[in-house]
Amino acid sequence: QAPTSAPGARLSRLPLARVKALVKADPDVTLAGQEAIFILARAAELFVETIAKDAYCCAQQGKRKTLQRRDLDNAIEAVDEFAFLEGTLD
Amino acid sequence: MASSSGNDDDLTIPRAAINKMIKETLPNVRVANDARELVVNCCTEFIHLISSEANEICNKSEKKTISPEHVIQALESLGFGSYISEVKEVLQECKTVALKRRKASSRLENLGIPEEELLRQQQELFAKARQQQAELAQQEWLQMQQAAQQAQLAATASASNQAGSSQDEEDDD
Repeated sequence: QAPTSAPGARLSRLPLARVKALVKADPDVTLAGQEAIFILARAAELFVETIAKDAYCCAQQGKRKTLQRRDLDNAIEAVDEFAFLEGTLD
Repeated sequence: MASSSGNDDDLTIPRAAINKMIKETLPNVRVANDARELVVNCCTEFIHLISSEANEICNKSEKKTISPEHVIQALESLGFGSYISEVKEVLQECKTVALKRRKASSRLENLGIPEEELLRQQQELFAKARQQQAELAQQEWLQMQQAAQQAQLAATASASNQAGSSQDEEDDD
């Protein structure tokens, strides 16, 4: 179900159909426009980049070269905006 | 498409897409598997968070469909305002492509437009769409591989079932 009218050069690295499915999985959501899905996908990409970089800083502080789960835990706790993720830390 | 778990709540962003993004963001960095798993889950949660907020914003407006503007407002209100300028580039790209298509079709109605130009634009659009389809196909391929493995197991099981039912045929000539 690849949208052929997708934005050109700046393709999202996230599969748009899956992003759309995730949005629709919310029972409160009725309709989401295609462009809204596009930019949500791009935002999610930026989020992954940000949290990965933050976690890497933690690993570097611990003088490690491998990024461990605890680096992500630390990154999540350090940033206010990531508070919503505390439920996934199981 | 039937999913083996059959539950919308089990949806996540495919691991392959996350791995690719991690690799591009942190080249030459080793990342533990459970860390990757967490990133997959965090990304999924992020999408739920923003879409939920955007939905509320949408409900408060008179609109029925979540628009890019609603998503942008959601990002702002949840503390992700720094993403907005890059996210707007996607919108610009959408408009550029839409504009090209509209120009191409309106030119078709005018005489004397070089067909080569139309053809060139069309090929450009197709190439871009193909690229995205290739990426999607790659991920679906990974999922299919897993599904194929399961199918193989199922086939082995049913083959041993069939061996015992050869008495079903009757001589009805």
